[in-house]
Amino acid sequence: MNPVIPAPVPVPLPAPTGLLEFLLVFTFILHLVAMDFLLGGVIILTVSSFLGRRDSRHYEFTRRVSRVMPPVTAFTITLGVAPLLFVQLVYGQLFYTSSALMAWYWLAVVFLVLFGYYGIYWYQMQHDELGPKAVWVILVTAILFIHVAFLFTQNMTAMLRPQDFYSLYLNGRVGSIFGPVTLLNTSRLLHFLVAAVALAGLGVALLSHRWKTESPELADWGSRYGVTLFMGATLVQFLVGLWFLFSLPLEIRQALVGNKLAVGVLVAAIVLALLALLTAPRNLSMSSVAILGTVSMMAVLRHFVRMAYLAPYFDPHTLPVRGQWVVFSFFVVLLLAGLATVGWMLYVLFRPVATRGVSA
Amino acid sequence: MNYPVWEPHLLGGGMVIGIIAILHVFVSHFAVGGGLFLPLTERKAYRENNPALLEYVKSHSKFFVLVVLVFGAVSGVGIWWNIGLVSPEATATLIHVFVWGWAIEWVFFIVEIAAAFIYYYGWDRLDPQTHLTVGWIYFGAAWASLLVINGILTFMLTPGRWIEKQTFASAYFNPGMLPSLLVRTAVCVALAGVYALITSSAVRDVVLRNNVVRYAAQWLLLSALAIPLAGIWYISTLPSMAREISMGGSPVVTLFAGLSILLSVLLVAFTYFGPYRHPQAFSTVFAFLLAALALSTTGVTEWAREAVRKPYTIYGYMYSNSLRLADMEQVQEQGILKSAKWVRLHEVDPNALERSGNEVFNVECASCHTVNGYNSIRFAVKGWDGAMIDYQLAHLNELKGFMPPFVGTEAERKALADWLLSLNPRPASLGREGGDSASPRSSAGYPVEGAAQP
Repeated sequence: MNPVIPAPVPVPLPAPTGLLEFLLVFTFILHLVAMDFLLGGVIILTVSSFLGRRDSRHYEFTRRVSRVMPPVTAFTITLGVAPLLFVQLVYGQLFYTSSALMAWYWLAVVFLVLFGYYGIYWYQMQHDELGPKAVWVILVTAILFIHVAFLFTQNMTAMLRPQDFYSLYLNGRVGSIFGPVTLLNTSRLLHFLVAAVALAGLGVALLSHRWKTESPELADWGSRYGVTLFMGATLVQFLVGLWFLFSLPLEIRQALVGNKLAVGVLVAAIVLALLALLTAPRNLSMSSVAILGTVSMMAVLRHFVRMAYLAPYFDPHTLPVRGQWVVFSFFVVLLLAGLATVGWMLYVLFRPVATRGVSA
Repeated sequence: MNYPVWEPHLLGGGMVIGIIAILHVFVSHFAVGGGLFLPLTERKAYRENNPALLEYVKSHSKFFVLVVLVFGAVSGVGIWWNIGLVSPEATATLIHVFVWGWAIEWVFFIVEIAAAFIYYYGWDRLDPQTHLTVGWIYFGAAWASLLVINGILTFMLTPGRWIEKQTFASAYFNPGMLPSLLVRTAVCVALAGVYALITSSAVRDVVLRNNVVRYAAQWLLLSALAIPLAGIWYISTLPSMAREISMGGSPVVTLFAGLSILLSVLLVAFTYFGPYRHPQAFSTVFAFLLAALALSTTGVTEWAREAVRKPYTIYGYMYSNSLRLADMEQVQEQGILKSAKWVRLHEVDPNALERSGNEVFNVECASCHTVNGYNSIRFAVKGWDGAMIDYQLAHLNELKGFMPPFVGTEAERKALADWLLSLNPRPASLGREGGDSASPRSSAGYPVEGAAQP
C-alpha cells in the first residue's frame, strides 16, 4: 500500500530549510535541558520525599529543590514552544497527521501538563504543611509528567512512519487511534527518563553548591547525592542507550552507519558523556559543560535518525522557499535584546546584597 | 481533505477549541492588564507611602503568578495544540505565513516569564526602583506579545492585501489589526480590574479594602469607555458579509452579538453600582459573580467574532472545512472522494450510497458539524425530505451565507443527501424517498411547501 501523506501547504517556507532545521534542533536542545531538569527533578523529588519522611537531610533537600521547580516548569513549556513551531513548519504534514490520529491522547498532554504544573506549585508552596502527604503530591505530579513523556515518545515516533498512517486510519476512529507501544518506543521513553534523572542529578548538585554559606553540610551532602544520581543514571544510560540503538530498525541503523557525520556525532556524544562521568566528582562545571555537549550531540543525532526514517517519503529540502529576511532579522535582534534583558534581571536578582538599594 | 478529520464526538472540534480559547482569552488578557496593574499600583503605594497597599500588591502578585504563569501559559499552548488537531491545514498556513511573528512572540514570552518570576521573587531582594522596572519590563513584554498575536488573529478574518501579495507585512498589517489591538488592550485593562476586585474583596483591613475595591472598579469603568469606540472602529473594518451575519443574517450569531453588548452593559452597571458606589457592601462572592459575568461576556464575544468569519477559516482564502478557494474547481471536477486522502471509499459506491455519503460528510462537513452533538447535522436536516436536502446541498452557500458551497460530483451530492436522509428514519407509512430529487413530493427538485415538516 502506498503511504498516504498530506501535501505540504502551498505557501513557501519563510527561510531555507537548513536554517529552519538548525533552529528546530537548537531550540529543541534548550527545551531538552529544561525538560530534563523538570522530569528528572520530579522523579528525584519523589524518591527524596519518600526518604525524607525519616531522613531530615532529604527533607530539607526537597524543600529547597522544590523552590526552583516552578520556574523550571515555566521554562520547559516556553522553550518547548519554539521546536514545536519549527517541527510544524518543516514536518507539518507528518506531525499533524500522527497527532490527529491520536487526537484525544495528544490533547490530554495539555491537561496533564496543567495539572502537573499545579502539582509542582502545591508541593512547593505547601511543602511543610503537607508533611508526609507531600510524597503523594509529588508522586502524582511525577506520574503526570512521565505520562506526557510517554505520549510525546509515541507521537514523535508515529510521525516518522507515514507508511503506517493509512492502515491505522482504516482500523480505528480518527482521534482515538493509539499506535502500538513497541519495544522501540519503550526503550526510547526509558532513554529519555534516564537522561532526565542524570541531568537533573547534575542540576541539583550544582544547585546544592549555592547553599554553601547558609548550610555547608547540606550543600556538601546535596552535591554528593546529585553527583551519585548523575553517575548512576549515566552508567545505566550506556545500557539503555544501546538497547534503544539496537531497537531502531535495521535500515535506519545502516543509514546511520553509512553517514560519517552521524557516526562522528554519536562518538562525540559518548566521549563527552565519559568525560562528564570522570570529571563529575571533582569538577562540576566541567562535567556540566561536557554533558551539555552530549545532549546537543544527541539532539543532532536524533535529527539524523528522523531524516533516515523519512528519506523514502519526504525531503523537506525540496520545499519551495521565499525568505522573509526583514522580519527574520527583526527576530534575531529582538532575541538578543530579550536575552540581554533577562540577563540583566537575573543579575540584579542575584547580585550581592551590599550593592542593592536602600530597602533591600 | 488533506488531513484526517478528528470529530470529537458530541462536542465538535470548534467547541473544543472554543472552550480552551475562551478560558485562555479570559486569563491572557489579565496577563497583560494585570501586568499594568501591578507596577502602577506598586508605584501608587510608594508615592502615598502606604505599606498596607504595598502588602496588597504583593499578595495580588502571588495570585497573578498562579493564574497567569500556569493557566495562561498552558492554555495558550493548549489552543495551539488544539487548532493543529482540528484545523491542521489552516494552522499550517498560519505557521508558514507567520513563523517569524511567532518566533518574535516566543522571545516576548521568555522575557515575560522571566520578568514575572523575578518580580514575584524580587519583592524582598530588589530595591523599589529596580523592582518597579522589572514590573514595567513584564508589562512591556506582555503587551508586545499581544501586539504580535493580535495581528495573526485578525489576519484570519481580514487578510486584506495578503491574498494577492502573500508577504508577511501584508498579512500582519491587515485592516482589523489596529482597531482590534485597541479593543483588546482596553479589555486587558478591564480584566485587570475584574481580577483585582477578587483579591481586594478578601483584604481584611476595612479602610484599605474599600479603597482598593473602588480603585479596582475604576479600572473596569474607565476601560468600558474605550471599548465601544474601538469596537465600532473594529466592526467597520469587517467584511460586509461578516457584519450582516452579526446583524440579522444569522439569528444565532445576532443573538450572541446582542448578548455580548447586553452582558457588557450589565457588567459595567453592576460594577458601578456595586464596588464603585458601595465598596463597603462588596464581597468575595460578588467579586466572583462579576468575574463569571466577565467570563460570559468574553465567551459570547469571542464566539461571535469566530462565527462571523464563517464560511471561512481564512477569509476569502480557505473555507471552514479547510478547502482552499483556489482548489475548488479541481475538486469539483474530480470529485471530493477522489481528491480526499483520508477516506475509505475513493468514489461513490452505488451499492453503498449511504456509506459513500457518510464519507463525503466526514471530509466536507465534519469540521463544523457533529452527527448528534454540537451543531448536530441530524437535527439540522430533521423533517427534510430527499428533494429538500438535495436542493439545500446544491445551493448551500446561496441559502446559507455562512456555509461553504457543496463541492463534489453530482453522485457525491446525491450520496450525501441519501445519508443525511437516513439520519432521521421516517414512519413506515411515509416510506423512504432516498436522495432522489425527482420524487413525487417535489417534482421540480424544489422544496415543496410544507416539506420542512415531517
